Amino acid sequence: MTSWLRSFRRMIVMFHARNLEYIRDRGSFGWNLIFPVAIVFALAIVFSGPPTAVFSISVVSSEFKQPNLLDFPGIEVLVVDKDKALERLSHHQTDFVIDTLETEIRYWLNGNSASGAILERLLEYTESRPLVRGETRGTAIRYIDWVVPGILAMNMMYSALWGVGYVIVRYRQSGYLRRLKATPLTKFEFLVSQVASRLLVTLTATAIVFFGTNLFLDFKMVGSLGLLFLTAIIGSLSVITLGLAIACRTESKEFADGLLNAVTFPMLLLSEIWFSLDGSPVWLRYFAEILPLTHILEAARAIMLDDASVLDIADELLALVGFCILGMGISIKLFRW
Amino acid sequence: MSDTVLQVRGLRKVFADVCAVDGLDFSIIKGQCFGLLGPNGAGKTTTLDMLEGIENPTAGVILYRNRPIPRDYQSRIGIQFQSTALQDHLTPYDNLKLFSGLYENPKPIDELVDTFELNEFLHRDVKHLSGGQRQKLLLALALVHDPEIVFLDEPTTGLDPRSRRDMWDVVLRLKSQGNTLILTTHYMEEAEVLCDYLVILSRGKVLLMGSPQQLIDNSNEDTLDALFLNLTGENLVETTEVIR
Repeated sequence: MTSWLRSFRRMIVMFHARNLEYIRDRGSFGWNLIFPVAIVFALAIVFSGPPTAVFSISVVSSEFKQPNLLDFPGIEVLVVDKDKALERLSHHQTDFVIDTLETEIRYWLNGNSASGAILERLLEYTESRPLVRGETRGTAIRYIDWVVPGILAMNMMYSALWGVGYVIVRYRQSGYLRRLKATPLTKFEFLVSQVASRLLVTLTATAIVFFGTNLFLDFKMVGSLGLLFLTAIIGSLSVITLGLAIACRTESKEFADGLLNAVTFPMLLLSEIWFSLDGSPVWLRYFAEILPLTHILEAARAIMLDDASVLDIADELLALVGFCILGMGISIKLFRW
Repeated sequence: MSDTVLQVRGLRKVFADVCAVDGLDFSIIKGQCFGLLGPNGAGKTTTLDMLEGIENPTAGVILYRNRPIPRDYQSRIGIQFQSTALQDHLTPYDNLKLFSGLYENPKPIDELVDTFELNEFLHRDVKHLSGGQRQKLLLALALVHDPEIVFLDEPTTGLDPRSRRDMWDVVLRLKSQGNTLILTTHYMEEAEVLCDYLVILSRGKVLLMGSPQQLIDNSNEDTLDALFLNLTGENLVETTEVIR
């Protein structure tokens, strides 16, 4: 048997053993499936009523005097960049987009939105400057359509980080890694087997939650399922390798727990799982870009809600591949049994 | 010298500012049961770790058959650690299968099951094994690839008298089959029954070396137990004597 085959065989047996351990741990296995489904259904119920805001207007520049319309009561104003504003308009996430220039006011509305038509009339009555009209099309998306990719990605993040990071630290603390070190198994073989096992678990759980909840909620999925699957693979790998990098030297479960929380908490808040960062400070949005979950979500939402092609999400996929290489490189370099 | 399996020269290990092993020299002969004795903190486990290739020495050399440690050394040795955790939710059978898969020419699992009498608890979660059952499984895992050298780190610590006797039988059987065994133990009776050659360590240094009978004959004590207690007392810690 060649050394490659021997190496492959060792990876397969470790992969198999880790899968067995996970499947027989009924608590973790069940929780990984039940938790995200419960959240999706809870949010579907909570956000099933009409929106509370009367009108939402996105403003794309603030250099010149804004129209009086923005001072009306019951109007929510968000300052965002133009592309994002128009994307939100097409999804009915905002009712109106205004760009105030020195000599004229440009505005956009969604041709399928009654709110947009009302705001257009109000603007015409209250504004003396020349108005330039623009229009987008697009059907409304529900909050649940927007939040489902977030919940799937959040579940992926938890499963990947704790399922690899915490487990490896537990193995180290219990002396199991020391035992494996005394076998012909190499660091690389061990790490690859852990990554492969967790990838299988994460993708399976995500697929079950995705198809299971879609049966009841019929959330929006207009893009390619194949491309979404590719995004899920690369996205899972990016967070799994992050978990490996955290665990590669950590010896205490308590410290690992702290590190994992320190990594997941910013992603929970800033990767747009629950709410958009539109209107937040620019530096915060730049910071969000260094989090893998942000790119997973941008790619997944673009596919599911806008039918994005692989070229449309190439930047996100490349960023995720970069996270994978970085995470795996750090893990292989620094891993200690 | 052709029968020398392992040679240790000037072996030293320092952790931060603690010298755990301080200049050990000894040789281990093929087919021998070699015992490392000493009180807690004497450096037995650290010495064993270096012989197993798990820790790198700070100084000194370890030779395998008069040559540096080969790359496939891990395939030639089997190790039963003092306390090894196994993966949760796996059975002894799963573990045997896993460890068999890590080696090129493993023994048939059925043979290991028979040899170590694992049948009764073969499909039980390892978390639910008794101390004796667990030690049997760990020894079976150490021998899954029929290694040339077997390291046993306190194999009977925490076992009841019956389980300890069972383990002795297994070790004696391995000895009779020509395996080279390197073991550490706290029990002098165990060392006397199982070991052909003993090294008594204290604070990382060799206090005495020789066969159990030689050690007793060259001392004023009647038993190895008494000799050990006497040697490892505070006043004798710095004594270094080699009986050849």
